[in-house]
Amino acid sequence: MIKFIATNKWFHNHHVLRNINLEISKGEVIVICGPSGAGKSTLLRTINKLESIDDGEIIVDGMYLSDPKTDLTALRAEIGMVFQHFNLYPHKTALKNITLAPRKVRGLGKKQATEKALKLLERVGLTHRRDAFPVQLSGGEQQRVAIARSLAMEPKIMLFDEPTSALDPELINEVLDVMVSLAKEGMTMVVVTHEIGFAQKVADRVVFMDDGEIIETGIPPDIFVNPQHPRTRNFMSSVFHIPVFGETEEEK
Amino acid sequence: MITGVKITLILLVSTTISSLLLGTVIAIMRVSRIKVLRAFGTLYVEIFRNIPGLFWLLFFYFVFPDLLPPGLAIKLNTYTYYPVVAGIVGLTVDNASYVSDILRSGRLAIPHGQREAAISTGLGRVQQYIHVLLPQMFRAALPPLGTRMVHNFKNTSLCMAITAPEITWATQQIESLTFRGIEATAVATLFYILLAGVMVSIIITLEKVLKIDISSISHSETAS
Repeated sequence: MIKFIATNKWFHNHHVLRNINLEISKGEVIVICGPSGAGKSTLLRTINKLESIDDGEIIVDGMYLSDPKTDLTALRAEIGMVFQHFNLYPHKTALKNITLAPRKVRGLGKKQATEKALKLLERVGLTHRRDAFPVQLSGGEQQRVAIARSLAMEPKIMLFDEPTSALDPELINEVLDVMVSLAKEGMTMVVVTHEIGFAQKVADRVVFMDDGEIIETGIPPDIFVNPQHPRTRNFMSSVFHIPVFGETEEEK
Repeated sequence: MITGVKITLILLVSTTISSLLLGTVIAIMRVSRIKVLRAFGTLYVEIFRNIPGLFWLLFFYFVFPDLLPPGLAIKLNTYTYYPVVAGIVGLTVDNASYVSDILRSGRLAIPHGQREAAISTGLGRVQQYIHVLLPQMFRAALPPLGTRMVHNFKNTSLCMAITAPEITWATQQIESLTFRGIEATAVATLFYILLAGVMVSIIITLEKVLKIDISSISHSETAS
C-alpha cells in the first residue's frame, strides 16, 4: 500500500529523513515512535506529500509521488489525515466540517452527505453536537469530529499525527477508542504517537525512529520490551521510567 | 443635493464591492506560490498605495482617455457620467491596494493547519480558498476592513475634483450659486454622518454575527 524506497529529505542543512526504506501493506497498523525531532511527523507527512522528499521514491496505492503526472489532489482524497491540533474549520459546524469534502470533492448531494456525516457522528458518539462550532467543543470532541471528517471521504489509508498529544489526559481515551475500533475494522493506519498502550493493543508493527533514521522495526513486544538497539533501549527506558538493563557506560 | 446623495451612494456601493473583489484577487496573488503573481501583487500595492487617490482620479478623468484611440476618447469625454465612472475606477484602484494588504494580514493570521486539513481531504486549490481560507480571511480582517471602507466612503468626496456631482460637489455648487453655504454644509454634514452611521452599524452587526469564529481562530493559533 505504501512503500518508501531510499527516501531522503533535508531542511536546509538538516538531514531530517535518512535513507528510509519501509513497506506498509494493506490493513496494517503501523505505529511510529521516537524522541521529538526524530522525523516521525515529517515521515508521516511525506505520505500525502504535505512534505516533499529530496531523494528516493514513495509509492502510495500504486502511484509514484515523485511522478509529475500523479494526480496529487485525487490521491490525497484517498488518504485521511488527523492532526495534533485537530485543524477543524472554525467557521463551520461539526456537521459542515464533515460534509464539505464529500460534497465538493466527491460531488455528493447535500442530503446524502448529511446522512453520511450523521452516521459518522454517531460512530464517534457526537450526534448531539452536530450543530456545535469547533470552539464550543472540547479537545477530545474536536478530534473525534476531525476523525469523522477524514472518514467521510472513505479513505484507503488513515494517517494520525500525534492525535492525542494536545489533549487533556482524561480525554485521550475517547479518541483512542475510535482509533482502536478503526484498526479492528482493517483500516490501513500509520500513527505517530507516544501512546504505548494503544500501540501494544493494535499495532502490527512499531517503527522506532531517531535522528531521521529508522533504527528498529518490529512487533510491539520486541520494540517495547526487548529492544535490540541501544538508542531504542534508551528511549524506552525514559518513556517507561525504568532503569535499562545491560547498558554500558559508552552507550550512555 | 439629492442628486449628490445619489451619486455619493453609487460611488460608495460600487467602489466598496469592486475594491473588495480586486483587493481579494491582489491579496491572493501576494501570498501565491508563483513568483510572477507575487511580484505583480506587490507591485500593484506599492504603486497604488504610494500615490494619492486624488492623483488617480485626475489620471482616469483627464489622462486616461488621451491614451486611447481618438474615437473612443471623444466618446468618453462627452459621456455625461464619465466623471462618475472615472471616480469609481480611481477610488477602486486606490482602495483595493489597502484592502488587499488588510486581507493579506487576514490570510497570514490563519494557522497553517487549516490549509493542510483542506489539502488532506482532497480539496483543490480554488476550493481551499472558497470554503476554508477566504471565509476566515474576511473574519480575521473585518475590523480593519470596516475602518478602511469608511475611509473609502469619505474619499468619494475627492470626486468633486473631477466634477462627479456627489455631495461635496453639490455643496460647493449651492454655495457658489446661491451663497447659502452654511445651509448647504449643514445638510451635507447630516448626510455624511447618516451614511457613515449606516455603514458603521452594518460593520458592527457583521462583527457580532461572525464573532464566534474570530475567537476560535485565535484559539487554534495559540494551540499551535
